[in-house]
Amino acid sequence: MGLEVKNIVAGYTREVPILNGVNLVAKDGQVTVILGPNGAGKSTLLKTIYGYLTPQAGEVFHDGKRIENLKPNQMLREGIAYLLQGHSIFPRMTVEENLELGGWIMRDDEKRMKAALQQVYERFPRLKEKRSFLAGILSGGEQRMLEIARLTMTEPRTILLDEPSVGLMPSLVDEVYEEIRKLKEARYTILMVDQNVRKSMSIADYVYALALGENRYEGPKAEMEQRLDDIVREWI
Amino acid sequence: MTAVAVNSRAADLWRSTPVRVLKVLFLIGLLIAVPPLIDSPYITRIFVSAVMLGVLAAIFDLMIGYAGLINFGYAGFTAVGAYTAALGTFHYGVSPWAGLLTGGLATAFIGLVTGVISLRLRGLYVALLTFFVGEAIRFSISNAPEFTRGMLGLSVRPFPELLGIDFGRGNLLAYYYLLLLLAAAIMLLLNWLVRSRYGLAFEAIREDQLATQSLGLNTTKYKLYNFTIASFLAGVMGAFYAYYLGILSPSPEEFGVYRTVEILTITYVGGRGTLWGSLFAAFLLIGLQEYFRSIGPWRLVIYGSLLIFVMLFARRGLSSFKKYLW
Amino acid sequence: MDLSLLLDPYILTEVLVQGSVRGAMYALMAAGLSLIFGIMGVNNFSHGELFMLGTYVMFFVTVILGWPWPLGIALAAAVLFFFGMFLERTLIDTLRRKAGRDWVLDAFILTIGMLVVMQNLALISFGSERRGVTGLISGVLVWGPVIVSYERLMILGVASAVGLALWAFIRFSSLGKAIRAASQNPEAAQTLGINIRSIYTITFGIGAGLAGLAGGLLISIYPAYPTVGFEPVIKSLACVILGGLGNVPGAILAAMLLGIIEAYSAFFMSAGWQNVITAGLVVLILIVRPSGLFSSSKVERA
Repeated sequence: MGLEVKNIVAGYTREVPILNGVNLVAKDGQVTVILGPNGAGKSTLLKTIYGYLTPQAGEVFHDGKRIENLKPNQMLREGIAYLLQGHSIFPRMTVEENLELGGWIMRDDEKRMKAALQQVYERFPRLKEKRSFLAGILSGGEQRMLEIARLTMTEPRTILLDEPSVGLMPSLVDEVYEEIRKLKEARYTILMVDQNVRKSMSIADYVYALALGENRYEGPKAEMEQRLDDIVREWI
Repeated sequence: MTAVAVNSRAADLWRSTPVRVLKVLFLIGLLIAVPPLIDSPYITRIFVSAVMLGVLAAIFDLMIGYAGLINFGYAGFTAVGAYTAALGTFHYGVSPWAGLLTGGLATAFIGLVTGVISLRLRGLYVALLTFFVGEAIRFSISNAPEFTRGMLGLSVRPFPELLGIDFGRGNLLAYYYLLLLLAAAIMLLLNWLVRSRYGLAFEAIREDQLATQSLGLNTTKYKLYNFTIASFLAGVMGAFYAYYLGILSPSPEEFGVYRTVEILTITYVGGRGTLWGSLFAAFLLIGLQEYFRSIGPWRLVIYGSLLIFVMLFARRGLSSFKKYLW
Repeated sequence: MDLSLLLDPYILTEVLVQGSVRGAMYALMAAGLSLIFGIMGVNNFSHGELFMLGTYVMFFVTVILGWPWPLGIALAAAVLFFFGMFLERTLIDTLRRKAGRDWVLDAFILTIGMLVVMQNLALISFGSERRGVTGLISGVLVWGPVIVSYERLMILGVASAVGLALWAFIRFSSLGKAIRAASQNPEAAQTLGINIRSIYTITFGIGAGLAGLAGGLLISIYPAYPTVGFEPVIKSLACVILGGLGNVPGAILAAMLLGIIEAYSAFFMSAGWQNVITAGLVVLILIVRPSGLFSSSKVERA
């Protein structure tokens, strides 16, 4: 179960594949972190899993089902949610409307929507306070909080996080990681890419290191922590 | 020798410089010789229209194809040239030869002003701004009939005799050759311009204005150069048109958005950023138009469909075929 | 010209009334264009032709078929809604998938091609005679010195109702929220399961439907003939620019303003100059405040 990536070859143009046969397993209920230098293909991998890019070769399995040819707007129905890199809130809509849109695929089920909103407000009391505010005027950290909260509206099984801490001050990074930790405790399967190696390692269960679009190292967190210095040195 | 080798030999020959010179001479020869040989006023008028619209489209290409500026009020600009020249002759007795120049200068001025006010605006808004400027020009001409005769029509004197050549209305060929001379001068100027550092600047601006600015290039200056020069040339053509046609009226078909769309279509079908493509496209489209003249509005349907087709499937227009013929 | 006339109360009242009616007309015309422009970034220059088709549908339903005129208006809106979706899916969607960065500009040119084709097909199919009706409802309301026809009041009423309905739809319905989300962050919307392609198609359909509705409602003022769309598209463009990019309420406000300004100037100068004034206003706004009169954000225009 969980997410499995087999031999993915993908890129933005046919001639220049960014990923050259990547393999990966994100075990159910665990936090799997992808590390690598710039250009290694980390974000590209997430985009390919989510369907923004169609792989030239290889397969992606989610809970045993092949998903590499699905479009992004079909992913939520499969139980996979994606946190985009950068700003993904709807700035001129209220916090509540943003959350409601998080529950778009269940919009016809009023009961379920209500329950999901309630749960989100319980988990994120600060968002409840600001539910009628326009999302655009929230602080950077609050916006990121909103994005994560919105992800959970449909109770997906798997969450892809693309650079969750980018652009945030260190204190806010801690807050965001606190939320991710809570997600981990709630048994979501998390596949994460982040520039912040130290932070992402601290929360990881399993780590993959990519280089030049291929697998380079992998291992459980403890093991990888010890080798971290060597791994990072390679990037430079 | 194998067939393939022969073919590529032939292809190399086809593309060689001497053969290219021959091709160009052939086309020029056609332009010069066909109208007098066929000796039909109808055909000559068609050639005049094709060359005129082709050159106007090439000038339009200078703006859109090289600097990314859409002048959607283009026909209004040519009206400035036409009316400045015609009114100068009508009210103040200015010689038509000077009229060509005054028409160009007046339009250049309008172009400069329009260019300045559009500096802050992005592509689409330049199109909208110039649209309204063009329509404002046309409406103003319509609404001042005491001076311009508006929709009643302004009659324009033909060119006076020059170097023994009679430019009376009957002598169409004289107008045609005069047009060819003007066209040659304008096309050569445009060609030189785009191959010069100006052209490089224009293309850089078209591709990425911000990056170009950060390289230290004064994008304002070059955008204004582009727009003003194009306006000047369009004004000269407008002035010629006035003297050629003999009667002017500010109708939408002549100087309104319909005319702009016609020229725009020629530019796009010929291929943006190619200059010469416009001439070929002009002959193609005017030819088609005349061939289908009997079926009336269908020819415009063909025009519109061609534009849609080019935008969707043949984004470089006729110039996609260039590799086969040139 | 007697300058005291400029502030004559009778004239001002008349101007206010007539201007409001005009403004409502322009607002209805502009709403569809503004919606498409705001959500998709496409400046649909064939908007006037969609209006024109609306007038023909209305004429056909009310005069040829003899059905009641409210049905005519509804059908004009419905037919154009579906036709608009068809156009978007076949033409604009294709362009978006093929063109690169500058697809907005290219889309504009595409809609010009659409304009030419639609206008001339109409000319071929229907001929150039104007086909209209003298009025949908008869009678006038006399209110002091002001005389307004019931028809114009009805137009004002319907346009207001439609505007309100549109606002409510965009603000409160889930589809409306999805449309707003798609315009604010299409990628994010997609990750939430919203099918952006469908949103664009429906939005274009709604915009076209609004144009069709306007054509049907205003048939007594703008009869059905192939080039009837010219003025509506110019007015709509003016309102959209004056009101601000993608700002539908702004466009509507701008429409009211334009209507009143035009009504005012109609007293003092001939009809031809009104177009110059409209054009002049647009140029002025583009110079002075390109983001529009009513836009709060400083939209990047250069």
